[in-house]
Amino acid sequence: MGSSLSRLTEKTNVWPWLLLAPLGIYMLIFFVVPLVDVAIMSVTDPRLSLVNYERVLTGALYQRVFLNTFLTAAFVTVCCLAVGYPLAYLMAHSKPRTAMFILLLVTMSFWTSFLVRTYSWMVLLGNNGPLIALLQMIGIDDTPQLLFTRFSSTLAMVHILAPYMIMNIFSVMKKIDPALIRSAESLGARGWSLFRHVYLPLTAPGIANGSVLVFVICLGFYVTPVLLGSPREQMIAGLIGHQIDEFLAFGMGSAMAMVLLFITFVILTIYHRRFGLDKLWG
Amino acid sequence: MNTFMRWAGILVTIFIAAPLVIVVPMSFSSASSLQFPPPGYWFGYYRAYFTDLDWLIPTWNSVVIASATTLLTMLLVVPATFALVRHKFRGKSVADLMMLMPLAVPHIVMAVGYYSYLGDLGLVHSHMGVILAHTCLSVPIAFLVLSANLKGFDRNLERAALSLGASPTKTFIHVTLPILRPGLIISALFAFVQSFDETVVGIFISGRNAETLPRKMFDSIRQEADPVIAVISTLLFFLVLVGIAAPYFISALRSRVPKPSRSPAGAH
Amino acid sequence: MTSYLELSSITKSYGNFTALDNVSLSVEKGEFVTFLGPSGSGKTTTLMIVAGFEKASGGSVQVGGRSISELAPHDRNIGIVFQNYALFPHKTAAENVYFPLQMRGVGRGKGLRQAEEMLSLVGLKGFGHRHPKELSGGQQQRVALARALVFEPSLLLLDEPLGALDKNLREQMQIEIKRIQRSLGVTTIFVTHDQSEAMSMSDRIVVFEKGRIEQCAAPLDIYHRPQTSFVAAFIGESNLIPATVTNAASREADNPLLGSFEYAGADNRLTDGQAVTLLIRPEHIKLSRNQVENRKNVRMIVDTIVNYGDNALVIGRAGDIPMRVRVLGADVVIIKEGEECCISWTPDSVFVITK
Repeated sequence: MGSSLSRLTEKTNVWPWLLLAPLGIYMLIFFVVPLVDVAIMSVTDPRLSLVNYERVLTGALYQRVFLNTFLTAAFVTVCCLAVGYPLAYLMAHSKPRTAMFILLLVTMSFWTSFLVRTYSWMVLLGNNGPLIALLQMIGIDDTPQLLFTRFSSTLAMVHILAPYMIMNIFSVMKKIDPALIRSAESLGARGWSLFRHVYLPLTAPGIANGSVLVFVICLGFYVTPVLLGSPREQMIAGLIGHQIDEFLAFGMGSAMAMVLLFITFVILTIYHRRFGLDKLWG
Repeated sequence: MNTFMRWAGILVTIFIAAPLVIVVPMSFSSASSLQFPPPGYWFGYYRAYFTDLDWLIPTWNSVVIASATTLLTMLLVVPATFALVRHKFRGKSVADLMMLMPLAVPHIVMAVGYYSYLGDLGLVHSHMGVILAHTCLSVPIAFLVLSANLKGFDRNLERAALSLGASPTKTFIHVTLPILRPGLIISALFAFVQSFDETVVGIFISGRNAETLPRKMFDSIRQEADPVIAVISTLLFFLVLVGIAAPYFISALRSRVPKPSRSPAGAH
Repeated sequence: MTSYLELSSITKSYGNFTALDNVSLSVEKGEFVTFLGPSGSGKTTTLMIVAGFEKASGGSVQVGGRSISELAPHDRNIGIVFQNYALFPHKTAAENVYFPLQMRGVGRGKGLRQAEEMLSLVGLKGFGHRHPKELSGGQQQRVALARALVFEPSLLLLDEPLGALDKNLREQMQIEIKRIQRSLGVTTIFVTHDQSEAMSMSDRIVVFEKGRIEQCAAPLDIYHRPQTSFVAAFIGESNLIPATVTNAASREADNPLLGSFEYAGADNRLTDGQAVTLLIRPEHIKLSRNQVENRKNVRMIVDTIVNYGDNALVIGRAGDIPMRVRVLGADVVIIKEGEECCISWTPDSVFVITK
């Protein structure tokens, strides 16, 4: 401690490495090694070969699941954007009290666990639940099955992930200097063109941030699709869980996990090159 | 554009709020299954929760695991944060990135890894195993919060302390830590909540002996959608509400306390 | 007799960049010395080296005859007031002031009483229980000062402490700091870029520029007898006229445009033909319509008149040499912008600068 604090502007020494060591060693043993384990299992179970990857990458079932996951994640991201942007805008431009109230709501949602929110949707969309009751009230007697469908799963995911999008966009919106907007207006920009040419580009970083975050989380989403989704339209995380849980097929499960991990890493690397990863969770 | 945004915003607000609010009346429902509107209201399910060991034990497990995870996380993260915020060294940017790695890995992937790895170590279905896994998952968020705090720390305060005769150790104890305390508490809180709510890894590795509350809830939702879950959801929801609203109330209360008496004449 | 604070040939380099180049200085006990200079001139770096927060690349610092270069900051017994005061937000004002005593093993009861006394000394009697955020900028200043002085340090260092205060408060604090310093007799180094502040407070001013000391002298000496053009231009308003010495013995110099000058004094020995700069302070120049007897007269075209209320600055050109004249309010009425007028001075207003 001595040398580092008293020579506040001085050069490197062994001290930072000592401070990092406990965490570094811990992460190595309990984070890196398990991941390596997954990689190894993917090529050694049932025997040393690439057969698992062959099946995962070429099998019709798996391809369908991957595609479904990708499309669902993209769809959820777009919906989160459609839902989140107006709300963030409302938060940034309302009276302080209103803004605070909405912020409170979003924060509450953000801090409530995925599980609890998934359950809420089960209640809302259940056959004896309020949504069905509402539909019956307006005269639809032959009410459709809402739960355990792609609809319920996607809707819940949008609800659960929207706060991530909202927070990201909101924080960018708050930082926009109102003087910029005023000067654009004074130069003749109004209404839609003001939005399109000035405001929207200024909020673009928030949109990019939020979208990448939501997309990546949605790719690996387990809880909600498993509990609320249709068993015929699984997402990748659910399938991995299924392989491990039901079939103890570690090889297959690991191979799928590695593919999921790879896709996630690629997306994040592209993002990192362009924006810097720390901004994602800033 | 303005009015469109406004109305869209209001609709979305309802969308966000409705699911959160719905569990509260459900928890008081007297129906034996999910039914809305509830046929009647009673405290039965609250009583059921607080007397059923099948629910209380997982709750306790989660509290214990989250607490231990928080402790371990903070012990590892605090020195690491100091190293990364205050020192320059080769490989610093890589280390910075490594801290955030667990956030980039989907929990299902970690679950597979931990299931196998901790299984080999004989730590599956044990508190220890879950704690070790959850710590990895809590590290990034604790780091992000703490490093933001530390980056905003005024170094002149430490220079002042040194100049006034405090050795580097005394400076750390008397000046750095007390001022950092709010940041440390919030960082710990994030780590705690992250562990308490963590579902996916818990499903796979907590098992019979160390069953976490999320795992029990997950199983229960899957099997029978027990209304007790509405009770737990409501309780958790109110905990979050209190947690978020508390700082506002405290500062509102503080500002009501009368200021110290007017200064004597002459002082500026 | 060795002086109290001795800086010997201090140098500081960052890679290729030289921040300080051979800085040497002797300060007497109880003296109030100001480090004055523009940003980046090295004054704060020197201060930080004395404080121990930076390590010099070469040279040494001695206090009371003993070298302190190897001592850590917490062993140097030096009081510092930082630019942003650096008061501990989690402690009350009294606890802040008690802190250095606490670090020296003084008991809490006795220490807090001493702290309260110190606070009274700086004019904050009864404020001990307040936290820094409950105090105004000026009050925080005083607490920082009390904290830096309560343990009777061997030196007091102030790093641009008055920058954040408004004009009236700043002037008030200048007087306060000087009063406290004099009553305690503590050797003080005050860093500022504000030359009027330096002029009003210091026993001696040390002018820094690009890592070197340009001049170290009492305020009036610096003002009337600057050793370099930089010092002349940095302190107060100045008219600098390039000239060549024509007759060193009879103190004459010549400028191609303005003719020959007589000058009163020079601090260095001059030789005929030497290139020099002549300094005439604006307030020593008389403005008139016509020539004045027994004075050097020169014609000037008036470009701008800046009226300050009680005085005015007349900016113009004599030939192509920019000139500035300071006149009392009433006299300005006689000329207008764009007109030509006559400016004059006597030899004892002319000072020769050789660097």
